[in-house]
Amino acid sequence: MTTQAQRSRPEQLGKRLLREHGEVAISSWLRLWRQPLTNLLTWLTLAIALALPGTLIIMLSQAQGLANQLHTSNQISVFLSLQASTAEGQALSQQWQVHGDIHKTTFIAANDALQQFSQASGLGDVLTSLTDNPLPATILLEPVSDDPEHIQQLVQQLRQAELVDQVLVDQLWLQRMHTLVNTSQMAILILSLMLALGVLLVMGNTIRLQLENRRAEILVIKLVGGTDAYLRRPFLYTAIWSGLLAGLMACSIMAAALAALAPPLGQLAASFSSDWQLSNLGVSEVLLTILGSCLLSCAASLLTVQRQMANIEP
Amino acid sequence: MIQFQQVSKRYRDKTALDNANFHLPRGAMAFLTGHSGAGKSTLLKLIMHMEQPTNGKVIVDQQDLSQLNRHQIAMHRRKIGLVFQNHQLLEDYTVYDNIALPLKVSGYNNRDAGRRVRAALDKVGLLDKERQFPEVLSTGEQQRIGIARAIVNKPRLILADEPTGNLDPKLSAEIMQLFEQFNQVGVSVLIASHDLALIEHMGHAKIQLNRGRLSGAFVGPN
Ligand SMILES: Nc1ncnc2c1ncn2[C@@H]1O[C@H](COP(=O)(O)OP(=O)(O)O)[C@@H](O)[C@H]1O
Ligand SMILES: [Mg+2]
Repeated sequence: MTTQAQRSRPEQLGKRLLREHGEVAISSWLRLWRQPLTNLLTWLTLAIALALPGTLIIMLSQAQGLANQLHTSNQISVFLSLQASTAEGQALSQQWQVHGDIHKTTFIAANDALQQFSQASGLGDVLTSLTDNPLPATILLEPVSDDPEHIQQLVQQLRQAELVDQVLVDQLWLQRMHTLVNTSQMAILILSLMLALGVLLVMGNTIRLQLENRRAEILVIKLVGGTDAYLRRPFLYTAIWSGLLAGLMACSIMAAALAALAPPLGQLAASFSSDWQLSNLGVSEVLLTILGSCLLSCAASLLTVQRQMANIEP
Repeated sequence: MIQFQQVSKRYRDKTALDNANFHLPRGAMAFLTGHSGAGKSTLLKLIMHMEQPTNGKVIVDQQDLSQLNRHQIAMHRRKIGLVFQNHQLLEDYTVYDNIALPLKVSGYNNRDAGRRVRAALDKVGLLDKERQFPEVLSTGEQQRIGIARAIVNKPRLILADEPTGNLDPKLSAEIMQLFEQFNQVGVSVLIASHDLALIEHMGHAKIQLNRGRLSGAFVGPN
């Protein structure tokens, strides 16, 4: 009893698979537009779930760049007391220049400090109207060592010195920045996982309904000898198309969000006298988003179809 | 073609088939008769691997069905044309697409499928209905479309479960003649029916089922 495939012209297996997949790809694409509204909502759900953590990740990775730019070295800022004269400050700066643990010093007189700040902050008029300069003279030090312990010892020494009001180590700020970035990364990771789970459930439910709507069809296909692969195929292609469309939507949302955030963040950076700018989506980010979207969509489809298809038995 | 060896089928508390032994030879045509609830549909479902026996072996075309994996079950079903009482046509498929479904599933290309679908439609005398949807057809026409779908893959075995149950005597006789024609070209045919008058008139082998127990032609001792 051999009834299978007695075709007039034998077709190569590869060619046949290509044709079958092509046909299903096209029919799945056409089927998407039979219920455009329902599908649009599903795609939007997926797109938003991707765009939210995506935007945060892009901002965070760029903020790290900003942090590194702001911090050029283990710089120590020594603020002199307001009583210290410019000459005294310069003398102290030169004295420290030859200190064994110190690589380099820069003296910023109180007047220069005021000028720099009024330019960077945009508060020029307010500040020039002040009769007394509220800012102290500052000496910036670059220590020889990178080791936090050595730097801490140096800081202790500097605090003892006359005319010194306050000693700040940028390293501390850097550590805090790194902690903040790490915490944010963890928070984004958790947020992403929760959103991915939500998307899997929402899409799983949509696919379950699609399967239920096609119950009669699935039964007949099983009875005329459709394999599991044949039955899965249209759902897989629907998932790929949905993933692509939702991925493109997610990219649009992210691009819009980043474009809206760029000007205020640029101003914020400028107030730290940095020329940092939030840049928009790059090619690799677009590709990664679409890939993630397709993977998530296919995972939802395969998991649901695998489980539900077994319930529809003739 | 079909062999049952001490086959029993129990649904929870109900015994639908009790120690059935029979052997339908290749190329034979037989009627499976019996009252409603006798176990006719159950027997056909066992052949299709839609149900599995509680005891015993079902062997089709020398294959013990209990040994088949999921892929092999699909391949097994491709060898059998199945006709239902309520035709089981898909409403949102055209007549053409309904009949072409077994071919699509087996990977036929459109050109070869088209040729086969038209040949099947020609055999059941409905060549002009190809673009219609099933619901606009009469019951007799729907049943013939169901038969066209069952034969389009050129199966060597046709199973029919009460194929004339919803039809008047004249249409029933026409449907049965169709099955006879397929049998004449070597296809094995097993038809479950309780239309005794029609079956007597046709004079083919009969297998009787009474409360799950078999008797009659092709039935072995138990
Ligand atoms: N899925 C099922 N679950 C429980 N009992 C069933 C099921 N299918 C059939 N039966 C029972 O098995 C017996 C045989 O049914 P069936 O094979 O459909 O008989 P027939 O087709 O001859 O009318 C009946 O008593 C029926 O109630
Ligand atoms: Mg029945």
